[in-house]
Amino acid sequence: MDGEAQRATASWGNGTLAPGDHLRSDRAESPTPGLVEGTEPGAGQKSAMFVHAQSFEDLTAEAEEEVRREADINNPGDSEEELNVLVGEKEPHLTSESKSKEEDVSSEAWRSHRKHVFVLSEAGKPIYTRYGTEEALSSTMGVMMALVSVVESEKNTIRSIHADGCKVIFLTKSPLVLVGVSRTSQSDKELLRELQYIYYQIVSLLTLTQLNHIFQHKQNYDLRRLLAGSEYLTDNLLHRLDRDPGLLLSAVTCLPLASSARDTVSSSLQAAKSKNLVFSILLAGDRLVTLLRKKDQFLHHIDLHLVFNLVGSSSSFREGEGWTPICLPKFNTAGFFHAHISYLEPASQLCLILVSTDREDFFNMSECKQRFLERLSRRTAYQALKDALKSPTYSVEHVGIPELRHFLYKSKSSGLYTSPEFPDVYISDSEQERLMGLYQELHSSLHHPTRPLRFFYRCGERENLLAWVTSGFELYLCFSPLGTKALAVAAVTKLLKWIRKEEDRLFILSPLTY
Amino acid sequence: MLMISPRMASGMQEKQFTPSLLNFFVYNPTFGPREGEEEKKILFYHPCEVEKNEKIRNVGLCEAIVQFTRTFCPTKPAKSLHTQKNRQFFFEPEDNFWMVMVVRNPMIEKPNKDGKPPTVEYQEEEILDTIYGAVVKECYSMYKLFNGTFGRAMEAGGVELLIQKLEKFFYRYLQTLHLQSCDLLDVFGGISFFPLDKMTYLKIQSFVNRVEESLSLIKYTAFLYNDQLIWSGLEQDDMRILYKYLTTSLFPRHSEPELAGRDSPLRPEVAGNLLHYGRFLTGPTNLKDPEAKFRFPKIFVSAEDGYEELHLIVYKAMSAAACFMISASVELTRDFCEQLDALVGPQLTLLASDICEQFTVNRRISGPEKEPQFKFIYFNHMNLAEKSTIHMRKTASVCLTSVHPDLMKILGDINCDFARVDEDEEIIVKAMTDYWVVGKKSDQRELYVILNQKNANLIEVNEEVKRLCATQFNNIFFLD
Repeated sequence: MDGEAQRATASWGNGTLAPGDHLRSDRAESPTPGLVEGTEPGAGQKSAMFVHAQSFEDLTAEAEEEVRREADINNPGDSEEELNVLVGEKEPHLTSESKSKEEDVSSEAWRSHRKHVFVLSEAGKPIYTRYGTEEALSSTMGVMMALVSVVESEKNTIRSIHADGCKVIFLTKSPLVLVGVSRTSQSDKELLRELQYIYYQIVSLLTLTQLNHIFQHKQNYDLRRLLAGSEYLTDNLLHRLDRDPGLLLSAVTCLPLASSARDTVSSSLQAAKSKNLVFSILLAGDRLVTLLRKKDQFLHHIDLHLVFNLVGSSSSFREGEGWTPICLPKFNTAGFFHAHISYLEPASQLCLILVSTDREDFFNMSECKQRFLERLSRRTAYQALKDALKSPTYSVEHVGIPELRHFLYKSKSSGLYTSPEFPDVYISDSEQERLMGLYQELHSSLHHPTRPLRFFYRCGERENLLAWVTSGFELYLCFSPLGTKALAVAAVTKLLKWIRKEEDRLFILSPLTY
Repeated sequence: MLMISPRMASGMQEKQFTPSLLNFFVYNPTFGPREGEEEKKILFYHPCEVEKNEKIRNVGLCEAIVQFTRTFCPTKPAKSLHTQKNRQFFFEPEDNFWMVMVVRNPMIEKPNKDGKPPTVEYQEEEILDTIYGAVVKECYSMYKLFNGTFGRAMEAGGVELLIQKLEKFFYRYLQTLHLQSCDLLDVFGGISFFPLDKMTYLKIQSFVNRVEESLSLIKYTAFLYNDQLIWSGLEQDDMRILYKYLTTSLFPRHSEPELAGRDSPLRPEVAGNLLHYGRFLTGPTNLKDPEAKFRFPKIFVSAEDGYEELHLIVYKAMSAAACFMISASVELTRDFCEQLDALVGPQLTLLASDICEQFTVNRRISGPEKEPQFKFIYFNHMNLAEKSTIHMRKTASVCLTSVHPDLMKILGDINCDFARVDEDEEIIVKAMTDYWVVGKKSDQRELYVILNQKNANLIEVNEEVKRLCATQFNNIFFLD
C-alpha cells in the first residue's frame, strides 16, 4: 500500500489528514541530485494541497480496510434521508443529458466498442452498462457474476480473462462487481484503476454505508432505482478516463496564471470562510485556479476528479446556485459533504465549488460566494484571471525544442501536472486517444507492480517516446519519429529548465488554508 | 520448487515458492453434452488422483470462460484466465479439443506467531502469459511429433485410443516441464545454429548427400554439432520441435558416457576392426548383441497430404549427431543398421574432429573470451535462428541463466510490447537496479541486450548496442 494513502486512511480516524511530515521525510533521499522531491519544478512551497498518490497503486489496496471501518459506522436513518435529498437533487438535470442507449447487444457494432464497462450487484443484478441497456444484458451480467462466484467458491479471486486483442477485467468491491472489457492495449492494472474510479463514482453518489445498508437488507435490490438519471456521470467519467492525462497521472492541472494574480484570488477566497466550509475550489473548465482547504484536511486527487466530473458533466449548475450532497469516498466513504456549486458569472468558465459539512449550510455558502466575488471584483487580479481564461493552454512550440510534439510533466510532491495542448498531428479524436494510449502504456511500464522502471525510451515508426520517473517528478515526452536519442536527452534538460522558469505560472506554488 | 529466502529473520523462515504445475487437462466439450455425462468430456487429467467432481468443476469453468469470451470476441478464443492464486492457459489445437494448463502463482509463505497458520502471499505479476502460452503449445507439438494429431488417434481407435495415448505421453512429459525456469526462449522456440566456415559446411553437405545416396531408404536427414543445428532437410516447424526434443531430452540423457572421458568412447567390439566413435542414440544400444531390437521411435512430420510417419534414427559420434528419418512403412532390419553404422560411423567421427578443429581455430582468431559488458538474446522469425549469451547451457532439467530473473521478465515484457504492434521498434529501459535493457525489432528479427553499465546514459547505451550489432550481426540492419 502506498505510504501516503495509508497515512491518510489511518489518520482520518483521529480527524486529521496530514501527509505533510511524511512528504518531508521522503524528500531527503533522492537518487537524482538536485531534483529532490519537493524541490522539483512545480513543487509547492509550503505543503501539498491535496493528498495525491505517487502512482495509482494506492487505488487498489486500501478499500478493504475502509469497508471494515465503515461497517461499524452504520447510520441507516440518516442516510435514508440523505438519499432522498440526493435523488431529489439529481432528477432536475437529467433530461437533457440522458441519452438513448438502445443498441443491439448481439451486434458486431456493440461488440466492437473499444471499452465496455459493466456494474452489477453481487446478486448478479445489472446496475450499469456503458453501451446498450441493462435489461438486454441481464443474462450476460448473470454469467459474469457466476464466473466470479465459481472462482470465489475455491477461495480464490478472479482477475481477468485474456484473448487476442481483447481482455476482460473483474473487480469485486462488495457489494458491487465491476467488469471491464477492453480492446485497448492498456495493462490490467490500468483497467483496474479505471474500474476503481467508476466504483468511487457510484460511492460518491450514495456513500458506501448506504450501499452496504441497501444490500444487507435486500440482496436482490435493483440499484438502478437509486442511480436512475446519474448514468451520465459514469458515462462522462469513462470518457475522461480515455482522454484526461490527470486521471492517468493521479494529478490535476492548473490554469496558467501569473502567481501574483493567483495569490490574490486565493487570498480573496481565503477571506470568504465559514465555520463548516472545508474546501473551496475554483475551476476554469477542467483546470484548477486555486484550492483552499481547512488546515489538516486534505482532498484526495480521486475525490477532486469526481468533483471535476460532477461539475463538468452537468450544465444545470449554470442555471443558478447548485446545492448537492456528495460523498468524497477517499476522504470518508460513510457520509456526505454538501457542495455549493455555481459559476462566478453567467457565461463564465469560472466555477466555484464550496464544500461544507453541514446540510443546512446553503445560505452560508451562498454568502461566502458573494463575499468572495465582491472582494475579487475590486481587485485587478480578477481581470488578469479573466484574461488568462482566453489562453488556458499553451503550445509546445513555446518550449522551443525541435521534434518535440507533446509532453506530460507531473510534480510528485504537489500532485500537479502540466502539459501543452495537443499538436496538429494529434488533433482528431482517434489520434488523441491513440496518444493517450501510448502514455498509458508508458505509465504502466514504469509503474509495473513488481518490475518498475526508472526510464523508458521507445523508438517507433510514428513517434519516439521517452519517460522518466524520479522521486520528484514524472516526465513523458513524445517526439516526432525524426528525433534522435541525443536530441531526446538534450530535450529533457531543456524542458526541465523551461518548466522551472514557468513554474509560478503553471503550478500553484503557495497554496493557502483557512 | 521451494527456495528459502535469504531475507529470513532468525527462526522465522519465509518460504518462497516458484510457479508450479497445478493441473493439466485435455477435454472435448462435444463428448459429453448431456447433464450427468460431463466426465466423458475429460480425455486426460493431471494429477489423476483429483476427485471426479473437482475435475468436472474445473473443466466446466474453462468451458464457461471460453463461452463467455465469445460474447465479446467470437473469433479470437480465450487464451488465459488470471486469478489471485493461479493462471490457466487455454489452447484449442484441433477443433473442440482443448488443452488447459493451470500454473500456481509464485508465493511467499510467512510464518505467524502463536501457532497460527502461515500467511500466504501470491505474487500475481510474476508469470508472463506469452511464455506459458507457448509452453502449452509446445506440449501439443511434442505430443503431435510422437503421436500425430488427436484426430488421427480418434480415427484409428476412437476415444479409448486417444485417452490411452494421452495418458502414456503426458504422464512422462509433464514431469519434464520445468515451469520455474521458463523464459523468453520458450516464446521463440528457436533453433541454435552452429557457426561454420564454408568449407566445413560443404563437407557436411556432401556427407549428407553421400549417405542419402547409399542408403536410399533415408527420406530426411538433420545434422547437429554440440547441440546446435547445421543442416536439416525437414520443414522448419517440424525441425523446431524435433530440435527441442533432441536438445532437451534425448541428448542430455546420453551425455554422460562422453563426459565421463577416455574410458567409454572406443567400444571394444568395434575397436578391433573399425576405428570410430559412432553409436545409436535411438534403437539398438549394441549392434553385436544377438538379442538387440531394431525398433526406433516413430515421429510424425508434415507432408504434402497431411502427415507422414517416420522412424527416427539418431546416430552420434563425439559431438556430432546425425538424424536419419525413414518412412515408417519400411521395417528396419539388423542388416540396415549394420550398413548404416559401417558407413556413417567412420565418416561422422572424422567430420566431428574436423569441425572441432575448425571451431578451436576460429575461437583462437577471435581472441580469448573476456567477460563482455553485455549479454544478449537474438531471434530471427524467418529461419528460427536463436542465439543467447544469457543462457549458460540448456539441460534436461534446468535452463541456467546468468542474469537476475527480474531482468529476464523485463525482456519478456518488451517482447510483449513488440508483439502488440506490427512495426519496427526499439525500446530502451533502465531497471530499478540500474541495468539497461535494450530491445530491437527489425523486420522479422528481435534482439535483446542487457547492459551492465549503470552510469551510462541513453546515448552511451545506444553506442554500445551499435558496437555489438556491428561485431555480432554485421550484416543485419536494425532500425536506429
